[in-house]
Amino acid sequence: MRYTGALILGLVLSGVVFSQEIVCKRVKSLPLDPLDKAWTNIKPVDISLSGQAVVPPMELKPSITSISVKCLNDGKNIAFHLVWSDKTEDRFHLIGKFSDAVAIQIPYRPSADVPITMGDKGQRVLILHWAAFRQENIEKGYSDTAKIYPNYAYDWYPHADPPYKYPENWANQYALNYIGGEKVFRKNTFNTPVREVVAEGYGSSTWKDIQGAEGKGVYRNGKWYVVIKRAFVEESTSNPEWGPGKETFVSFAVWDGSNGEVGARKSLSYSWIKLRIE
Amino acid sequence: MVYKAYNWQLGREVNYPYEPKRPQKQFAVVMDLNKCIACQTCTVACKTTWTPGRGQEYMLWNNVETKPWGFYPLGWDIKLLELLDGNKKTVFDAPEGEVVLGWKPDELDWMYPNVGEDEVNEPVDVGTVLENLPHPIWMFYLPRICNHCTYPACVAACPRQAIYKREEDGIVLIDPERCEGYQECIRACPYKKTHFNFVARISQKCIGCFPRVEDGYQPQCVITCIGKIRLMGFINPPENAKPDNPIDFLVHVKKVALPLYPQSGLEPNVYYIPPINVPLSFLKQMFGPGAEHAVKTYMAMREGKEPELQALLHLFGSTPRIPHTFKVVGNEVIAYDEVGKEIVRVPIVEPIQHRPHKDEKLDVVRQDIP
Ligand code: SF4
Ligand code: SF4
Repeated sequence: MRYTGALILGLVLSGVVFSQEIVCKRVKSLPLDPLDKAWTNIKPVDISLSGQAVVPPMELKPSITSISVKCLNDGKNIAFHLVWSDKTEDRFHLIGKFSDAVAIQIPYRPSADVPITMGDKGQRVLILHWAAFRQENIEKGYSDTAKIYPNYAYDWYPHADPPYKYPENWANQYALNYIGGEKVFRKNTFNTPVREVVAEGYGSSTWKDIQGAEGKGVYRNGKWYVVIKRAFVEESTSNPEWGPGKETFVSFAVWDGSNGEVGARKSLSYSWIKLRIE
Repeated sequence: MVYKAYNWQLGREVNYPYEPKRPQKQFAVVMDLNKCIACQTCTVACKTTWTPGRGQEYMLWNNVETKPWGFYPLGWDIKLLELLDGNKKTVFDAPEGEVVLGWKPDELDWMYPNVGEDEVNEPVDVGTVLENLPHPIWMFYLPRICNHCTYPACVAACPRQAIYKREEDGIVLIDPERCEGYQECIRACPYKKTHFNFVARISQKCIGCFPRVEDGYQPQCVITCIGKIRLMGFINPPENAKPDNPIDFLVHVKKVALPLYPQSGLEPNVYYIPPINVPLSFLKQMFGPGAEHAVKTYMAMREGKEPELQALLHLFGSTPRIPHTFKVVGNEVIAYDEVGKEIVRVPIVEPIQHRPHKDEKLDVVRQDIP
C-alpha cells in the first residue's frame, strides 16, 4: 500500500458526520441553467472546505474555503446547484495552467462509514466532476492549437486531422494508439462538461464508460455558478443506492486553477454531509 | 511510505516512494558527445514519428541543446542544481506534502528550444587559438531523450499511477487512458522529459520507440544519427556487468560513458561519453566524479591505447538491430543479437586505396577525389 498514513487517516475520517444536512426538494422539472429562477427560492447550505492534506501532493493553502449548495430532484434526476467565489476565471487546461473545477462525491452504499477519501476497496464512490475547460469546449468549440495560440507558427501536420485525431489508416498504428487513441479522443469530445468517475481509494479513480451526467457553469461577478445533474438510475451502468425518499451522503471538492490546483491539489469538505431526497 | 533504493551511480541508497525493483532488462543508450554535430536529424526523426500532431507542436521528445547556454525548457539544469542544494539532496528528499522535489516550467520556458545555440562559454578574442585540451573557449552539443530511469521521478509523482516502468525492458510509459493531465510528472522529472499535450490534455513522453525495441531494433533517434554517436542496448547493474555487452563494457568496464546529473538520484539510463574539449569542473558537475577517468580513457584511445574500446565505437550507427554482445576479431568488430546470431561485422580500419594523380590509362589528371 502506498500511503499507509493516508489509509489510517482515511479510516479515522470515515464515520464522521457533522450536523449539516442538505434537503433535496422535489419539483416538476429540473433547471440545468444555474441562473434559472427555480434556484432562487431555495435556501443554500454553506459548506466549509479545507486543503487536501492527507496524501501528497497536497494543497496546504487552498484559495477556496467554502461552497454553497442547493439541491432539487424530479423523481428521476437529481441536480446540485453549486456556488463559490473565485477571483480568476480559469477556463483552460494548458501547459502549467489549470482549469477551475468542482466535484461531488456520493458513496454507492449510503453509509458514512465509506472513507471520505475517495472510498476504498469494495467501498465504491461516484464522483461527478465539472470543469471549466470542458464548458469552454462546448460553448466555444473544441480548444485546439489554432484557438489557444492563434499566433503559433506551425504549418505542418503530416498525420493528424483536426483537432488532433490521427487517420485510422495511418501506418503508424503505435502512435495512433498511444497518442491520438480512440479513448483519449472520446474522453475529450463528450458533449457534457461533467465527467462521471468511480473510485475505490486514492489514485484509483476511473472514468465510467457511460457518461450520462450533464451540467452547466456560468462565471459572473467573481463567482462560479454550476449545476450538475444526473439520473438516479442510469441504464446499463452502475448506480449509487439513492432516489426519492432515500437518504445518502455527499461531499464536495473545488479546484482553483490559477492557484495551481489540479488533481490531488484541491480543497474539499472533510466530512460526509447528509443528503435527504424528498 | 518511503523505501530505500540502492543507486549504484551514487554508491548509496536513496529514498523512493515505491518498492525498488529492477526490470528484467533495462533500456539504455550511450551517446558519444565528442561526435555530435547538432544536425538535429535525431530530433526530426523523433518528431515526425511520434509528435507531429496538434498540441505537440512545442514537444521534442528528443532535443539537442548547446551547452553551456542551451536549454529546453529554459534553465532546466540550473534549476535542478539549485533544488539539490549542493548535492545534499536527491529529488526524492521532498518537502512535506510533496512526493518529489520538483518545479513547474512556465509555458514560455518551452518555447525556445536550444536558446543560445552554438554560443561558446565566453566571448572569443581576436587571435584566440585553441590548441590545448581542454579548450579555454568551449561549447558542446547535448542530445537528450527520456532516461527511462531506474527510479523514475515521473512514476513516483503521478497521483493516478498512470505512469509505469515496463518489466520486460525498463521503458517508462504513460497510460494515455489513465492520464488526466495533472502534470505532476512534468513538475517531478528533473530532466523535464515529460510534456503536456494541450489539445489531447494528457502528458506524453519519449516511449523509447518500444514498438521497434520489441522487434529487436534500436530507436529512430539512434539509427538515424548522422554523427553515429549513439548505441542502444540493455544495461546490467554493475555486479552483473558482462564485458561482452557493449553497454556494460562502456559504462561498467571502461567507465567512459556516464549518467547525466546522477545527483538527481533517479539512476538515469542514458549514458554520455563526455566531450574532451570541456573543462573538467563543468563535466564533473554534469556527469559526476567519473568524468576525469572517462576523459583520460578517451584520450588514451585516441592514442591507440584502447583498441577494444576504439573497435566498439565502430558499432555505433552501424546496424539498426539491438546488439546484445560484441566481439573484436582481427580487424573487425562483430555484433550479435539476443540469441547470439551475428547481426553486423564492421572493419575497424578501412583499406586505403592509393590512386596516383595521373591516370596513365586514360591519360587524365585526377581532380581532388578520394
Ligand atoms: S527522465 Fe524523466 S520522464 Fe524519463 S523516466 Fe526519468 S523521470 Fe521519467
Ligand atoms: S543526429 Fe546524432 S549527430 Fe545529429 S544532432 Fe542528433 S545526436 Fe547529434
